[in-house]
Amino acid sequence: MRNIGDHRFLISEFAKRLGHCFLAVLLLISVLSLSACIRPRSRFEPGVLRVNLGTEPPGLDWHTATDSTSFDVVSNLMVGLTQYTNKLTCAPSCAKNWEVLDGGKRYLFHLRDDLRWTDGKPLTAYDFEYAWKRLLNPVTAAQYAFFLYDVVGAREYNTGKLKSAETLGIKALDAHTFEIRLRKPATYFIYLTAFCVSFPMRKDVVEKWGDRWTEPEHFVTNGPFKLTKWQHEYKMELAANEGYFDSVPQVKLIKMFMVPEASTAFALYENDELDFIDNRSFATPDVERYRNSPEYKNFPLLRANYLAFNVTKKPFTDVRIRKAVAMAIDRSIFPRILRRGERPATSWIPPALPGYSPDSGLKFDPVAARALLAEAGYPGGKGLPKPELLYPNRDDVRLTVEATQDQLKRNLGMEIELVNQEWKVYLATVRKDAPPMFRNSWGADFPDPETFMNLFTKDCGNNDTKWSDPRYDALIEAAQGELNAAKRADLYRQADVMLCREAVPIVPTFLATQNIMVKPWVTGIAINPLDLQFFKDVVVDDSQNSQTKYGAR
Amino acid sequence: MFALIVKRILLAIPVLLVVASLTFVLVRIVPGGPFDADKNLPPEIIANLNAKYHLDKPVPEQYLLYLGRLAQGDLGVSYKYVNRTVNDILADAFPVSLQLGTISLTLAVLIGVPLGAIAAVCRGRKEDVIAMFLSTLGISVPGFVIGATLIFVFAIKLRVLPVGLWESPWHVVLPAVTLAFSPAAYLARLTRASVLEIVEKDWVRTARSKGLSQWNTVLKHILRNSLIPVVTVLGPLTAIVITGSFVVEYIYAIPGMGRFFITAVMNRDYDLILGTTLVFAVLLIIANTFVDLAYQFLDPRMRIED
Repeated sequence: MRNIGDHRFLISEFAKRLGHCFLAVLLLISVLSLSACIRPRSRFEPGVLRVNLGTEPPGLDWHTATDSTSFDVVSNLMVGLTQYTNKLTCAPSCAKNWEVLDGGKRYLFHLRDDLRWTDGKPLTAYDFEYAWKRLLNPVTAAQYAFFLYDVVGAREYNTGKLKSAETLGIKALDAHTFEIRLRKPATYFIYLTAFCVSFPMRKDVVEKWGDRWTEPEHFVTNGPFKLTKWQHEYKMELAANEGYFDSVPQVKLIKMFMVPEASTAFALYENDELDFIDNRSFATPDVERYRNSPEYKNFPLLRANYLAFNVTKKPFTDVRIRKAVAMAIDRSIFPRILRRGERPATSWIPPALPGYSPDSGLKFDPVAARALLAEAGYPGGKGLPKPELLYPNRDDVRLTVEATQDQLKRNLGMEIELVNQEWKVYLATVRKDAPPMFRNSWGADFPDPETFMNLFTKDCGNNDTKWSDPRYDALIEAAQGELNAAKRADLYRQADVMLCREAVPIVPTFLATQNIMVKPWVTGIAINPLDLQFFKDVVVDDSQNSQTKYGAR
Repeated sequence: MFALIVKRILLAIPVLLVVASLTFVLVRIVPGGPFDADKNLPPEIIANLNAKYHLDKPVPEQYLLYLGRLAQGDLGVSYKYVNRTVNDILADAFPVSLQLGTISLTLAVLIGVPLGAIAAVCRGRKEDVIAMFLSTLGISVPGFVIGATLIFVFAIKLRVLPVGLWESPWHVVLPAVTLAFSPAAYLARLTRASVLEIVEKDWVRTARSKGLSQWNTVLKHILRNSLIPVVTVLGPLTAIVITGSFVVEYIYAIPGMGRFFITAVMNRDYDLILGTTLVFAVLLIIANTFVDLAYQFLDPRMRIED
């Protein structure tokens, strides 16, 4: 007889049974996984483009949207009075032509006759008038309302000082003529008519559906594509708009996934589950792996990174020390550590824009930098206080500020302390009381030097350097109203010299780039330096040949 | 039992009020606001935005407004996703997390409990060593490593399962396994410790000595009693797993609600932070009530007099 105190037998039986259950579960899982197996699937769907948006667009109402993800979607659903070309000019779109009158203070846009919304109703100048007034209405609380502040009465209306929209310089003269009156001549104004926030809008749809008017069942648009499906936080589907006045897109359907994790998106691309990816789906090691692939391309963007000084804090109250820092940083280090083809920069105006000159900024010159520092009373960096450099907590930014710290130590003998903060905390700190140094960046809203140069005027809310100079402000104001292109470029160039060579409240470091990978069966993808992606000219090859050529998996 | 449920519901109200109030205060203490962005807005625009979302009112008034809306089941609006309410966002995202979480939790229990039991039974032998090695691995290796490894092996190298997305039942397999890893490991360790304690008890010997069959002894005496600690942790574990995991949802691109626990805070999306926190608190309370009910079923000594 078995000893009842000995539970060994009892539990070994139990273990056996449990073990069997356990094995059965494992087996089931493996069988389930394997049965999903290798069934041949085609590597692409003809006429269907699959891309990654990275995140949910925070909103498709182009008056309240503020981010590039939303604008990427809206740019394919809507067109405005004019349209950006990939060469940074404005081409006619809803407006077939326009007149600039009264020395640049009055614009008259003549609309095409064949404009229609996706529900078939005609699109008129009244849709533009409604949209522009809604953008400025304080109730809309549009973040980009300031874009139209050059329009007569716009700022007053948006801030509640002017109660009625009637006296605004925005008027549809008839169904096909749209008139805009400006407070002062603004040469860059035409670019704003291609930007998302200035697109027309349908009063009846917006008022009927309220906050839900951008859901696919209510959404009415006028661009090359229309929104057919929106699974929030997951996927959007855009179908070709057959009624689009320009050429109907060749792509029948765009599937826009929202894959937040870059390595997953990249793996999806490698597995032929995405046809096109950009920076949002790239980790630096992946760029390295594919640098020589024909699928990989790299484009410079109008997004500039810079190091800024708070000129009211020591030791940067002395311009010689600011200049010494600017000359002690070898900008060629940035593309070497970030490895995404970044373009080193010494001037604030990027090479693609008028007013750029390679000689506007201070070039790398450690000998002159050390001499300046000695002249300021700190030979070899001796006796110099250790200033803080604040940066937002992000890996690529950390690499750049560490490189800067190293360069300053090596070339100037200057020690700096790196301080990082979470993004929103960083923004709040810089705005409230910026530390002696901080790292920042700026992306162009429109392809004109104004978007960069306005940043360091006295009244600009984004100028956290505390630096201002009436001569600089005067140059910018003169350039804003100058109608002669060559004279205007020269005014911006003079301002750029003042900013980057004489007063040096900032040290431009490099221009960011867009890195993309496109599958061989996709043609017609073009990247705009403003980082807007237009898919209307894309072709996803649907011929029988290409299926055989790329094979099935 | 009925009294227990009623008592729990009544107790939940002050608990939720405390959770809502604490979160309300904490999110407003953190520096940075919902409309801070790299492009600073003119003060007039900020004023318009603050007026739209009632952020221009004094904080105590905002608090009362919030509680008023909460009492009507309105969790507020998102400042980041401009045209969506928090109710909309959670109604879309929670069912996804619930599906994935339920599958993962089932997987975790089906794997973790037997693994722990086997380890206990074979204490000190190689089965024990292997089981405990696996569970230590499961606890100490973070989800993103497990996820990335599974994607690399099953999706990229073997190409038997999808890399990510949420399209078909096959898309559930890898995320469910990733999400189940850590709870399974935890349950295994807990079950092992518990079974080891129970098999030594006198009443197990007594049960056998009075002639009960082996299977009956295991099921009714050993397993049932060793499950008490397991059931205890299953309460919070359920709430954690079915509200989604930031890491798993991120790496597999799943539209669940786990991501909002992190992104809402980064965006200072005040109402969304409060909404996710409250949903989590409600689920925790529900799960714990079930745990208390399960105790009564498992152990008659814990039955509360009605």
